[in-house]
Parts: sequence; structure tokens; C-alpha cells
Amino acid sequence: MAKKVKFKLDGREIEADEGRLVIDAAKDAGVNIPHYCYHPALGNPGNCRMCIVEVAGAPKPQVSCRTSVREGLDVKTASDAVKRAQASALELHLVNHPLDCPVCDQSGECGLQNYYMEIGQYQSSVREDKQHKDKRIEAGPHVMLDQERCILCTRCTRFVDNVTQTHELGVFRRGHTERLELTPGLILDNAYSGNVVDICPVGALTDRDFRYKVRVWYLDQTDSICPGCSRGCNISVHTNTQRPWHNDGKRVARLKPRHNHEVNGYWMCDEGRYNTGSLDLGRLGRVLRLSPQKQDVSWEAAASEIGAKLRDGGVAFVASGMLSNEDWAAAKELFAGAKFYFSAQPDQIGEEDALLRRREKVPNLKGAEALGLSSGTFDELAKDLEAGKVRALYVVERDLAKIWGVERAKSLLSKAAFRVFQGPNKVELSESYDFRLPATAYVEEEGHFTNFEGIVQAYCKALEPIGEARPDWDIFRLLATAKSGAAAEVAA
Amino acid sequence: MSVTTATKSPFTAEQEAVLLRWKNEYPYPNMGLVEALRSVQDWNRRMTPECVARVAEIFELPFNRVWGVATFFPTFTQWKTGRKRVGLCHGLSCWLAGSDKMEKRLEETLGVPEKTCTADGEYSWESMECLGACEQGPALLVNDRLVGAATEETVAKLKESK
Amino acid sequence: MTKILTKHFDEPKLHELETYKRLDGYKGLEKALTLAPAEVTAEVLKSNLRGLGGAGFPTGAKWGTVPPVDKVPGPRYVVVNADESEPGCFKDRVLLTRAPHQLIEGLLIAAHAIGAKEAFIFVRGEYQNQYDIIEKAVKEAEAAGYTKHAKLMLMRGAGAYISGLDTALLETMEGKKAWPRQPPPFPTVAGLMAKPTVVNNVETLSMLPFILREGGEAFAKIGSAKNGGTVVFSVSGHVEKPGIYEVPMGSKLRDVLTLAGGVRKGHTLKCVIPGGTSMPPLMEKDLDLALDFDQIRAAGTFLGAGGMIVLDETADAVAVAHNIERFLTHESCGQCTPCREGSYWNEEILERMLHGKGTPEDVPNMTRIGENITGKVICALGDTVGMVTRAYIQRFPEDFKKRISDGQKS
Repeated sequence: MAKKVKFKLDGREIEADEGRLVIDAAKDAGVNIPHYCYHPALGNPGNCRMCIVEVAGAPKPQVSCRTSVREGLDVKTASDAVKRAQASALELHLVNHPLDCPVCDQSGECGLQNYYMEIGQYQSSVREDKQHKDKRIEAGPHVMLDQERCILCTRCTRFVDNVTQTHELGVFRRGHTERLELTPGLILDNAYSGNVVDICPVGALTDRDFRYKVRVWYLDQTDSICPGCSRGCNISVHTNTQRPWHNDGKRVARLKPRHNHEVNGYWMCDEGRYNTGSLDLGRLGRVLRLSPQKQDVSWEAAASEIGAKLRDGGVAFVASGMLSNEDWAAAKELFAGAKFYFSAQPDQIGEEDALLRRREKVPNLKGAEALGLSSGTFDELAKDLEAGKVRALYVVERDLAKIWGVERAKSLLSKAAFRVFQGPNKVELSESYDFRLPATAYVEEEGHFTNFEGIVQAYCKALEPIGEARPDWDIFRLLATAKSGAAAEVAA
Repeated sequence: MSVTTATKSPFTAEQEAVLLRWKNEYPYPNMGLVEALRSVQDWNRRMTPECVARVAEIFELPFNRVWGVATFFPTFTQWKTGRKRVGLCHGLSCWLAGSDKMEKRLEETLGVPEKTCTADGEYSWESMECLGACEQGPALLVNDRLVGAATEETVAKLKESK
Repeated sequence: MTKILTKHFDEPKLHELETYKRLDGYKGLEKALTLAPAEVTAEVLKSNLRGLGGAGFPTGAKWGTVPPVDKVPGPRYVVVNADESEPGCFKDRVLLTRAPHQLIEGLLIAAHAIGAKEAFIFVRGEYQNQYDIIEKAVKEAEAAGYTKHAKLMLMRGAGAYISGLDTALLETMEGKKAWPRQPPPFPTVAGLMAKPTVVNNVETLSMLPFILREGGEAFAKIGSAKNGGTVVFSVSGHVEKPGIYEVPMGSKLRDVLTLAGGVRKGHTLKCVIPGGTSMPPLMEKDLDLALDFDQIRAAGTFLGAGGMIVLDETADAVAVAHNIERFLTHESCGQCTPCREGSYWNEEILERMLHGKGTPEDVPNMTRIGENITGKVICALGDTVGMVTRAYIQRFPEDFKKRISDGQKS
């Protein structure tokens, strides 16, 4: 534990850890000091000169990202001199900036814009022509680079040098000829490339997926957990419902990482980030009986029929680590006595690395484990199906065709007398069931995931469910009530 | 000490040896990097990504770091210099002594604009920042050696001294 | 006038060991090696020797901040800064050419004082002639057995002015872009490869043989208060006899000008840049100013590295400021925004003025830009970027007015 010391911040006495950077200690105390180059995970090169403060006794202004807290330090962050210094640093950042905000995707979340409104608002005194640099450089599959907008804060180069150690970007040449460029022969194509867009304080690095789709001020943000693997990166789901005709009609506009020191730091991987495309594809919105013929039914009708089938035993429950802790608990109750199959199969296994990515591409196997649930193998399930031991097969979200191949899955499915599919999206064989129940996607519900280290994390509801979709746990609860025969209660 | 070559080296075996020697010249390998790049500039008269990438490989450093160095220092060029790289100082004292006039003389004498190599690859010229010979301005430099003041005579003589 | 460094400059073979030895060469080192390192530092402190590369920091005090070996074990280094690149400065070139052994002796004394087993001479790349001379001299010194306590190594720069700034020099030596560091830690605590490192200028180190031979007090006596010994001015520009002139610290500007033959015939003095182009100029009224680090500051400028450029009435302040800002723009490393953007902006405005397109608003605007740079940047180069144009505007407002009104007339 660092020693606590007292220092003065704009006249207030503040307690902070000795040696903590003034910019951080001020933030802890609710004072945001403007800055571009400083990033807590990427260091403090002190090149943007925005975080200038006055320190009593110092002969000239100091940058707060390189000043450490010590006993008796007296810092002013809002004096006239500081405001002037920050406005002038901002002005120098803008001398050669194209000011193309109307066509810039960063508009609305741009460090240049925000500080201009906060501390700038001067009349431009630039009469010279702006420097022209390269624009629309396809830096990689996800990232577009505009050199004219770049303020050379070096956050992105520090990211590729120190975090991913892939070195695809560099600040080359010198002085006013300096440019942020791709390292010759390389493209920005690493597993975490999207993070450079987040850390870019201006519009120099933008997301190719997100470019020109929707203005950021039309987006709503909701705290969530990435379901892409068992890391459970904390994310913010940015949704577009205010302007439904924007963003090609997609409700989720983008995912952004949320800082969590314990889990993901400031980052998330590209796999998780760009995983939103299929969210609204083939959504199930209606409660359907599929046999003997396709027919809309009410939740209550479906529940009472399915509930009755589950009463008789011989039930196999297939699910995946996509279920929340709440879902698992409800499933444990509903499917007591049934065999569970939820282990990650090759379709849910992928690359892992030392930074964030985990091998199993589902968020919550640990939640099942914590409830004492264990998964049988899919070979066992296949054998049981072959042997006619499975009377009722209940599948949540899982695409059996991806596990067994289409033909075999089809044949195995036909061996069960009664089959239910439940999930947010259609899967390959989702027509080959007796019932199909619409469930909410993770962005339409709230719940908890337990990550691979056992950390339980909440995710919130960002969007309304589609059609009649309900959270998995809610469906299980409905079925449990029906199963126990209390149909009247269900109706209520 | 040997370094494995991932790609075909753009350097000769002798040049590779020189680069390795720079790597081992000082207490820490990185300290030889600027000198190694100076050698590359001498040999190729410019910096190319292929050459610099090989230097990075030899020094076991990320390429973007070494390319940063190779594009930062004025000694290193991306345009091809002449075998005789002529520099004319245009610092304040040399400018007071008439460096702009001598720039024109250089251009006429060598027959090429600034930072352009003559067709035979022999000469190029460029304005340089202070060469540390302010008392004999405008100072003239050929291949990093000061040759005194740039005058009508000395500039004319440049071309003769093949 | 008392001379220390250039005393024997009429000896044609001073650069050779034999001649140098005949003229009391290496006696200072021999003396130093009989003393404990702390005693050498104490002698240098007594001498009031100041860093002659431009900062003027007391050399002994700088050495004193190197942590002792018993507290911080491991290597420590001395680096000679022979990267002289500021317009107006060429004294190091002459010292390297004429008296390489004087520098080597000084370097070996410094190495002993701080316990460095390895020392580096960083020579700017454009001084290849001087590099050859110093390389030969190092070999002579090695052969003569002077380098038993410290190995000497040479290294060349690659054309960047900013490499002459101590921390940027260390970055260059480490094979990086010459982006200045932001102390703390200072190089004496964490310098080359994060080891304690003393970076001293050629002229500073060259003073050490005298100090050790004759004693710190004798050296201090030559100069002015807190400014021991002599200083070598590089004089160029509009003078009759450009060249280097060694004078005691505290000598009058008038006397240095006289040594250089005065303003060229038929012309009158406009101003004198005292320390290299980055320094604000002194005016005619300052002719009786005593030139040392402290007294010159009172006149609003700096001794710098003693690169004196004399301008006569033919020099136009706008064109001079433009030349200097162009230099600084070219040499700005690009690390911090105010210097990178501000230098270019200033240069562009001045260039427009030179083309007759200046406006009255440009003058207060450039003053404002300058104020917004100086003191708010990473290094001293950036400080000067904001200082130069302001200094010429302040001293020669009529030159700027004339440029603007001439432009408006045409």
C-alpha cells in the first residue's frame, strides 16, 4: 500500500497515494484535466501539453501527467494561466487540423471538439493554408486512417508496440513532416486492432464498420458483458433506436470496451467487438408449434404442452455457455433429473492468447459449474439418441448441425419423440423440432455471467425483445410452473 | 554471433559483417544502430524499407522503431543521393554570406535541382542546416567533410574533382 | 588576455600527442589520478566551471549528482557532446581539430571523477574530418597508456540538431529517434541505458586539464563571479575577422567585437546574437555588458554556446527571424505539439511577410503564438521556437512595420 499524503487541488485538500500522477489523483477527486496523449494503460509521454497545471513553486507550468503527488503539493487546474495554456495548446493542435467535423465519424465524441467547447471557443487566427496529408488510408480490415486529423499523440503506436507488440503503426519522419503511418509492408490486422479506434482521441482512426452509419449522438449506451468468450470483457453496447433507419436498420451500432482492471483492462478483441452483425439475423419472434404443422401458439399453450412432456423423464437438455447464471439456475430446477449437455464443442472453440482471448467462445460455462452442473459428452448424447433412450430433447441456442453435421444431426433429432428448440436466432435445423420458442438475445435481457476466473459480472438490458421473445430463465420458470401442473398460475 | 535471415538479405556478406560489427561495437547492441544505418546510407545512398527491415532483423528490434530512426535523421534519405553528396549551409551566418546565391550556382554547375541525383549518379546537392563552419560561410560539405567556403571557384571545382 | 584552451594554438602540431605533451599535456590527468574521485569533483566545484554547451550549469555540481558507486553499483558513463549544430557555433569544431588531446585528457579526468569505466565521444556526422583527428588522438592516448581507467569510444550522429540536447543525445546513442526526455530522472541518475551518465560539452571538458594542473582557484580567478575561467566565442556574420576568440568570463561584448575586427567596414552595428541563433540578440546599448552566464541573462538573453553572430544595418529583422524559425522548424523533433505546430506556423507567417503579404495582425499574433510555446514544451529547442520571433519583433518593430506597409503598397 502506498503512503497516503495530502495535497492541494484548486485550494481543496485532497488525500491521495504518494507518487500517484496528479492527472489521476485529480480525476479521483472529480476534476478532469484535459489530455490527449496520456492514457493510464499506455503511459505518459507528455507530448500533447494539454494537461498543463500550475504547481506552486515551479518556475513554469507543469504537465499533470508527469507530476507526482507528494505531501504539500499545491496544484491549480483552473486558474486563468492554466486555462490560457490549455486553450493555446488546443489552438496549436488545431492549426493544421482539417476541421472536417461534419463528415467526421468522431464528431460528438472527439477530444478536439469537446475541449474546444470547454476551454477553446476562440476566433481562429490561422491565415495560412493547412498542411495536406494522406486521407482514407485503409489501415487494416477494421480501421481507417486519416493523417490530417491525427494529432500525433502516439497512443495508437504505443498500443501496437506495448500491448499487442505487433508494431504495425509508427510515427515517422520529424517535425511538421511527421506522420502517423503504417509500418512499410504491414497492415493493421491484429486480434485487437479495433482498440486503436477507441484510444484515438480524435477522428484519425475510425472504425470501418461504423463509418457513416449513424451519428454518435443518436446512440444509447448500456453496460454489458461481451459474450464472445469466457473472459467476460466489460463492454458498452451502443444501440441505435432513435434513428431506426440509420445504421442499415441494425439496432446494435457497435460495441466498446469498458474499463475493468480485474478483467479486461481497457481493451476488447476484434472477434468480440465485430460480433454484432448476426445479432438480428433470423430472429425468432413467435412461439411456434412446428408439428404436425406450423402453427402460432400462445406461451401458455406451449408451456402446458411442453411442461407435460417434461414430466415423464427421459429428458436431455442441450445448452451452451451462452446462458446466464439466472438461466442456469432456472434450468437446473426445470430439468432436475435430466441429462445436461453444454460443453464447448469445436464450433465454440477458437484462438486464445495471453492478452484477453480465451479458447472457449462462450461466456458462462463457469456459471453452470458453480451450480454443480456438469455436461455429458455429445457422443454419449448421440448414443442415447440412437438407442432411443432420449424421449424429450430440449435444445437451447445450440446448432446441432455444427456439432454432428447436418445429416447426422437430422437423423439423431428424428430419434427423439419430442423436441424443443429455444433461442434468439434460427439455426440450421431449427425447423426440425416440435416446438420453437423465441428467447431474448443477451442485449435484450439482464443477467450475470461468471467468467473463467469465477468473477460474476452483471450485464444490462440494452434493447427491447423482438416479438414474443422472453429471457431463457423466464421461459424455464414458465415451463416449471406448467410442469408442476399449476397451469392456472401460469395464466395469471 | 549470427542472425538468421528470414528473407534474402539486400546486403552483401561483407556488408552484413559490417552491420554485425556495429551491433557489437558498443556496450549495448542498440547503441550501434545509428552507425549501422549510416553505413546503409553510404552503401545505397538512400534508405529503403527492405534494407532497414534487414537492419532491424540484425539488431533484433521492431521494424517500426528502426524505420522511425531511418526517417528521422536528415543524414538518412529516401531520395537517392549522389556518390558525392554536396551540402550547402543556409544557417544564419552562411545565409548572411550569400548562401542563396551559391545555391543557384550549385544548381547550375551540377545541372540538377536540390535533392536530385545527376544522371551518372555522381552528384547531388542540398541545403543543409548549420554545418559548424560559420566563419567560412557559406559552408560547403562533401560527404560529411567540410571543404571550406562555397565560392564561384570551389563550386566550379566540385565537378572537376572526379 | 588570458587564454586556456587556445593558448598554444600557434603550435602547428598541437593535435599530436608529442607536441601536446611537451606543452604540459596530460599533467592534469596525472594529477587527477593521484586524487580520490571526490577530490577531483571538489576541485572542479571550486573552479566555478560552467557547462559551456549552452546550459551553464555548474559542472562540479552536475557531477555531484551522480550517485556514488557504493549506493548505486554498476556502470556509469561520461559522454562528450561534440554535436555542435547551432548556427553561429563552431568553437567545438576548432577545439576538436586543433586540440583533441586536451579534450581527451579532460574526458579521462571526468571519467575518473565519476568512476566511469567507459566514455563516449559523440561527434556530429558532418564533422568527419574532426572525427578522424579525434580517432587518431584516442589511439595515441591509448598507446601512451592514458586510458587504463576508462575505455574511450567514438560515435557519430546523423544530422539532427536536437541530438545536441543531452537527453536527445542519449536517445540517439541508444538507437532511437532524438526525442528529448523529460527529466526527472536527470541523466546523472538515469542516463545512457538508464545508467548514471554525465554529458559534458567539448569545451567544458577541455577546461579540466588546466583546472587539475593549476588548481580550481586559479581557474575561478580568471573569470567573473560564479563563472570561472574563459569562454571561447565563435564570431561570425558581419565582422571583419570571423573566427574563434577566447576571453575570460565576464569580458565585455565590445572587447570581443574588437577582437573580431569590429563590424565590417562601412557598416554600422544592428545587433549581436550572443550565443547561437536561438538566443535573442543584444543591442548597441549592451556593448559594455559583461559576458557571462549570469550577467547576460539580466539583458534578456543567454550566453548559450557562445555562438556570436554580428548583424549590421543591412540585415532585415523579418528575414533574420525567418531564417532562424526555418531552422528551428526543420530541427523540431516533432514530439510535442506546440513546438511542432508552432514553429511551422511562425515560419509560414514570416514567409508570407517576406512575400509582401503580411498584415498588421500578424505581429501581435506571432507574439501571442510565441508566448504560447515558450515554457510549455518538452525541451529548450521548443522554448526558443517561441522566443526568437518575439525577440526580433520587440527589438525591431520598425522592420516588421516596413515589411507590412511595403507589401501593402505594392
